[in-house]
Amino acid sequence: MKKLFHEFLKGIIKENPTFVLALGLCPTLAVSISLMNGLGMGVAATFVLICSNIIIAMIKNTIPEKIRIPCYIVVIATFVTITELIMKAYSPALNRALGIYVPLIVVNCIVLGRAEAYASKNSVMNSLFDGIGMGVGFTLALLLISGIREFLGAGKLFGYTLIKGFEPAFVLAMPPGALLVIGLLLGFFNILKERK
Amino acid sequence: MKEMLQYGLTLMIICAMATGLLAGVNSFTKSEIIARAQAEQDASLKEVMPEATNFAAVETNGEVIYYKAYKNDALLGAAFKTTAKGYSSEIETMVGMTKDGQIAAIKVLSQNETPGLGSRVAEPSFTGQFANKSLEGLNEISAITGATISSTAVMNSVKTKAEEIFNLIKNGK
Repeated sequence: MKKLFHEFLKGIIKENPTFVLALGLCPTLAVSISLMNGLGMGVAATFVLICSNIIIAMIKNTIPEKIRIPCYIVVIATFVTITELIMKAYSPALNRALGIYVPLIVVNCIVLGRAEAYASKNSVMNSLFDGIGMGVGFTLALLLISGIREFLGAGKLFGYTLIKGFEPAFVLAMPPGALLVIGLLLGFFNILKERK
Repeated sequence: MKEMLQYGLTLMIICAMATGLLAGVNSFTKSEIIARAQAEQDASLKEVMPEATNFAAVETNGEVIYYKAYKNDALLGAAFKTTAKGYSSEIETMVGMTKDGQIAAIKVLSQNETPGLGSRVAEPSFTGQFANKSLEGLNEISAITGATISSTAVMNSVKTKAEEIFNLIKNGK
């Protein structure tokens, strides 16, 4: 049980996919405009990550080594398509806001990275907790970045204006803002790591 | 040779299972997705022509050109969609127009303009300006500061399409 908890926890801080492994930065840069988008993307990617980790851990012994990557991609693509269909049916507004980045979860390197580096070598239970941990870590990272960008770039949080008369810096809501915020946060996490 | 068959079969089985699963989810969500799109369409029609009680699609070759808006069988005007290339995306707008060529209201259906600048074309402070404007009066609308391209894109697309539809109605089509 302690081992499983450790698998879960490592994705959040010690091996955080965004700030430590620096994986999946493309969707992170693009969707972190508002907290709602960040949360939606995080939840969608977490769902795909958990499902694909479980399935790949289950079939890891039956698929031949040489064709493992196409097999992983098929599994991941299936869950991404399921996510997209469900999102279209029950949350069309979020689906429109995330746009092309939902189908692009297929090539999100966190998902394939965990399949290759973890789920293909570990048990189903461990992979499940690894998936949850990495997903939560990715979601938290997205929330942190999009929170900073939405607050400073648009003066809002979750679409609500907090401080009246606050003049937002538009640049943070635009692509350069994403690079600035992620860069500064990565530096900050590096300092934290070196201190220890 | 034996290896190739084994690989092919493994992939085939995985793909077949994936297809089956997707077919299941699709049949489960399909009606919901269509219903959502229809409901959204109805809501936006209602929003640009609030007084209308029913709408009838006018089609040419199976393509919807515009919607005639009726209030208890009396023709009120028309509602139509128009798209324009903005600064960074296609801006799709729903427009309501009375039968004597006055804009009733517009609503931006989808856009992906610069957040905080161009995206403000969807806000009431901009779209509200279109209400009760005649076709010539559309030139008086003031663009959003810092988002001239997005604003003029919407203005021009509404004007061009409104003139086109107005002529269609006048000619009784």
